[in-house]
Amino acid sequence: MKKSLLLAMLMASMVVGCSSTDMKESMGLNAPFPELTSQTAELSAAAIDELASNPLLSERSVYFKFNSYNVESQYSDMLAAHAEFISKHNVGVAINGNADFRGSHEYNLSLGQKRSVAVSDSLSGLGIGSNNVETVSYGEENANQECTGSACDQDRRADIVYVGE
Amino acid sequence: MIINMKIMLNYIHRFIFFVTLITLSFSSNSIEVIEILGGKASQIPIAITPFNEEIRTMGQVPDKKNADLQKMHKVIANDLERSGLFTSLDTSGISTIPDSDILINFSNWSALQAQFLVVGKIITIQNRIITRWSLIDIYKEKTVLSMEFSGSKKQYRGIAHKISDLIYKKLTGSPGVFHTRITFVKKKSEKIYGLYVADYDGFNQRAIVNSSQPILSARWSPDGEKIAYVSFEKKKPVIYVQDLNTGKRVLVANFKGNNSAPAWSPDSKKLAIVLTYSANSQIYIINSDGSGIKQLMRTRSINTEPAWSPDGKEIFFSSDRGGNPQIYKVNVDGVSDVNRVTFEGKSNLSPSLSPDGKLLLFLTQDNGKFRVAVQNLLSNQVLKLTKGPHDESPVFSPNGHMVLFTYKDYGKTTKIGTVSINGLKVTPLRVGSEAIQESSWGPITSN
Repeated sequence: MKKSLLLAMLMASMVVGCSSTDMKESMGLNAPFPELTSQTAELSAAAIDELASNPLLSERSVYFKFNSYNVESQYSDMLAAHAEFISKHNVGVAINGNADFRGSHEYNLSLGQKRSVAVSDSLSGLGIGSNNVETVSYGEENANQECTGSACDQDRRADIVYVGE
Repeated sequence: MIINMKIMLNYIHRFIFFVTLITLSFSSNSIEVIEILGGKASQIPIAITPFNEEIRTMGQVPDKKNADLQKMHKVIANDLERSGLFTSLDTSGISTIPDSDILINFSNWSALQAQFLVVGKIITIQNRIITRWSLIDIYKEKTVLSMEFSGSKKQYRGIAHKISDLIYKKLTGSPGVFHTRITFVKKKSEKIYGLYVADYDGFNQRAIVNSSQPILSARWSPDGEKIAYVSFEKKKPVIYVQDLNTGKRVLVANFKGNNSAPAWSPDSKKLAIVLTYSANSQIYIINSDGSGIKQLMRTRSINTEPAWSPDGKEIFFSSDRGGNPQIYKVNVDGVSDVNRVTFEGKSNLSPSLSPDGKLLLFLTQDNGKFRVAVQNLLSNQVLKLTKGPHDESPVFSPNGHMVLFTYKDYGKTTKIGTVSINGLKVTPLRVGSEAIQESSWGPITSN
């Protein structure tokens, strides 16, 4: 008992220390790990007007088939409109991926992310740089927890949300 | 006593032995799935009698007998039954209940087919209780344990759990986990989440985090001092480590993208975490204060839900590199080959290792049903412990004899419960009517 207490105290003293994240350490890939520049800039009045007036820009969700991460061709026009908007106003955008409730919360975070990345890749193909895009997943956290069959289809999607909206 | 212990140990590890035998007779690639093993016949029959309360008044008007204290023997019976290794016998037909190990009518108890008997009495002096109890071997007609515990009245459940731990240790040779704690997340409404710590049986719950955003993947540090968890309070998942004694917390991972799935190294110094910094979920190792981040390996596929082997040398994880999610392992140095571990079932996820490193616990999915399963890592034999269809978040008790998990019936709220590692005993925990998700189990501590 005494031994484990001592050990616990020793461990506690070891983990106490600097609480800030050291961003200078390499990731073992010689890749820098820069601090995230949070884009808190507000949208310009012109950008807000355009979001309100262009019907393609009011479409924000890309839906995915079961177990699929392909962005279907039906979303081409919508994504092209968003890409044009992003580069014209140089705004930041978050792509929020989602999954249905089945399976583990953690794995569903990864599945939502995969959908988010798929949309981000589409935007990248339309000339949008990664500086403007953050891919985030909500996993199953916003999903219908009681759906069955095709009612769960709504939850397999990625949503486009502009920084400052 | 020695014979009993041997029987018990044999029973606990029966599936391991069984599996080893099976492997010898099949090719190394074949995998046998067994649904259930053993029968209730191998459970130890134990009679736990009500503990009579004796109130010492010190000259005042005597209080009424305390209703909670009348339930102490039930707490012990429930503890032992949850393990799946004991069956507690109904003693209501016995006319005279002894309150000590003298004057035991052994023929009464052997007629009840009790192999062991627990008797005791509680002496109340104002708010203090003294519990004197004995464990008696009915076959040998002899007292195995005889002890006295004292504390405040409010501690009656804790005292009962201590008694259960001692009985468990004596009769199985393994430490009991009845005095440990668990965590779970309550989703009280769309915008109210709480991370709760409770006794292992769900009693004495208290919130350690309240948030308007989801909380996931809480994990106790192996030293029992801290809990790491994922919170969405920054509008995306980030990882906090919270000190249980001080309540202070440190934001250890807030990198671009998602930060999730914290898993403590066995020495409590490091965390394996998952970031989507580059694109899809990838595993990184950081110090538990958030410094010194290193990527474990780099692939285009999903790598998530890291779990350390007890020796700290390997990381087990789920990945879709082969299509559907399966469980793989890699050395912590990240330079070795990645080996696939699960082959049975359409998909397998949420891995964790038993304290002895011999069993893999995970979620298995077939025909849309998610069930809790264990796999013997020597033979690869799989045992499905639960029925599904929406079981999640399986974690081992610190002795590896039970599993805490969440489950749900269609159209009903998600609940939390335990299942014994032999699959014989499923026990729901009564922690309220709210939806419960994301379970974890703390270590055995000395206090």
